[in-house]
Amino acid sequence: MNKKEIISIESISKIYHLGDNVVKALDNVSLKIYENDFISIMGPSGSGKSTLMNIIGCLDVPSKGTYKLDNIEIDKMTDSDLAKIRNQKIGFVFQTFNLLPKLNAVQNVEVPLIYSSLSKSERIAKAKNALNSVGLGDRFDHKPNELSGGQRQRVAIARALVNSPSIILADEPTGNLDSKSGLEILKFFDELHKAGNTIIVVTHEDSVANRAKRKVEIFDGKISKDE
Amino acid sequence: MERFLKMNNIFQNIAIGLRAIKSNPTRVFLTSLGLTIGIFTVSIITAGVSSIDKEFEKSMAYYGNDKLYVSTWPWSFNFDWWKYRNRPRIEEDNLQYITQYSQYIDDVSLRKTSWIRGSYGNTASWLQINGVYPSYQDMLSGTKIENGRFFSQNEWDLQRRVIIVGATVRDGFFDGQDPIGKTIRLGGVSFEVIGELKKQGMGMVPGGTLDNLVIMPSTTFKRILTRWGFDELVLKTRPEQMAIAKEEAEMIMRVARKLKPDEENNFAVNSADAYKQQFDSLKIAIAGVGFLVTGISLIVSAIGIMNVMFVSVKERTKEIGLRKAMGATSRNILVQFLSEAVTISIIGGLAGIILVKLLTLALASFLPVSFDLLLIFYTFLVCVFIGITAGMIPARNAASLNPIDALRHE
Repeated sequence: MNKKEIISIESISKIYHLGDNVVKALDNVSLKIYENDFISIMGPSGSGKSTLMNIIGCLDVPSKGTYKLDNIEIDKMTDSDLAKIRNQKIGFVFQTFNLLPKLNAVQNVEVPLIYSSLSKSERIAKAKNALNSVGLGDRFDHKPNELSGGQRQRVAIARALVNSPSIILADEPTGNLDSKSGLEILKFFDELHKAGNTIIVVTHEDSVANRAKRKVEIFDGKISKDE
Repeated sequence: MERFLKMNNIFQNIAIGLRAIKSNPTRVFLTSLGLTIGIFTVSIITAGVSSIDKEFEKSMAYYGNDKLYVSTWPWSFNFDWWKYRNRPRIEEDNLQYITQYSQYIDDVSLRKTSWIRGSYGNTASWLQINGVYPSYQDMLSGTKIENGRFFSQNEWDLQRRVIIVGATVRDGFFDGQDPIGKTIRLGGVSFEVIGELKKQGMGMVPGGTLDNLVIMPSTTFKRILTRWGFDELVLKTRPEQMAIAKEEAEMIMRVARKLKPDEENNFAVNSADAYKQQFDSLKIAIAGVGFLVTGISLIVSAIGIMNVMFVSVKERTKEIGLRKAMGATSRNILVQFLSEAVTISIIGGLAGIILVKLLTLALASFLPVSFDLLLIFYTFLVCVFIGITAGMIPARNAASLNPIDALRHE
């Protein structure tokens, strides 16, 4: 089976200069991710997994090497081009949900759409659709503080999905949830995967990583395991 | 279409900025208060100066643009009493010299002025009395005979007790009835009203109103009213030769007074434009101080807005990070925070305008302040300018935040 290549990372490095010290957060890493992959990235703190995630998420650019997302070269893009890529190609799910507290569920899901030039009615329709698809059709007007942790994370997932991105990038998505809600979210990722989405989960929990079909471990800025 | 979408995008970011304001009304109120006060003062000063101006124009009409007044003292706001106190009174005789030697004066009249208590029936009031020549009829400025007639040469010669009354006298004594033929008592003597002057309104002249006036023959005045007062010579020329006529009048008066070349004038030739010069400098002083105070308050309020915007950016660092992760460009964030600053500023300005409007409504009866749409428009411009100036640095800080760091911010 020949799957479409979504992410192609070719020997990238990320080097930070802290005073006289040179820190190699990523050291010559190469990674390919295909369409409908469900991949986990594991590693202890300081291993470089956050840096890798930031680069995959187009929040940062590598010091060396090339990164292609959907065949678009990312590594030499300007800030506003990166913003557009983030808007169209990537759906972020954060550990702390990062919902805006003053906005209700629909308005929160609308946020990415605001930056993609849609009319208000289109935005609302799309946001409601996305909320329906995560099973929150009855929570449109609820503010984050009126929702449970699991529900909040589902609003965040709806927000990640709303622009039909190429990849869903989740950073410790269950880290702030109790085990029951966490399991609920993980089941949800399974469903998304079955529906054809490409999912990358960054985690340090084995139970989360085990759900993924492919496990990548990173240590000292290098990929130590990929199976 | 592309362009439309871009505009749409800007409106979205403005909407986000507005929502931030709605969620913190107290802070916005306090921040915009400085601007409210600034806009309020600048509007009041502008309106005040323009109202004073209008009143002044009216008073100028009273003095006329073709008349010279030979008086003991110059018309001045800063009157140096000690310098002028020993000057001789103006004598009626001087008029002969002027009519005899002048080329530029077309007509002359003596004008004696005094104040006296007048009564009609049970009503009594202080009135300004002018005793003049019959020729004064053509030298009335800013008003004219509206009803009845002026006194004749014959009545002047015979020292008849006939008077022409101003509008205030008519309203006060006769309650709107036709005053012609009625008899008013001035200092115990009866006078017949033969004419009535057109209303002039309030003016910036000594006494406040221009209508509390009674005119009679100067001969009658001299015979009956022995009260303290002062005399002036009213000279009529043409507007285009005011300057030369003034010089000429001065020369003739010096000759009439037998002043030596090294002696100073012991009289003054006054005219409306000399008054106006003094008034203009006063106006500039009022406006200058006002605008300085306002300018300072606007700068202070701009600093206040800037401060609040820094706080707002700091508080919402995480939101900025999130929005950037979701695809907001730096420009989007810049517009969002700029529109927040501009809105705070406009709210302050509008509140100021509303205050001005309320004040002018309350004071409408005795402070006629002009209030127009142009003022709203200028206020709007000033507010947008202040908002952008004050918001620029905080908004740029927000726009330049690195999304990774911003997201991690707690």
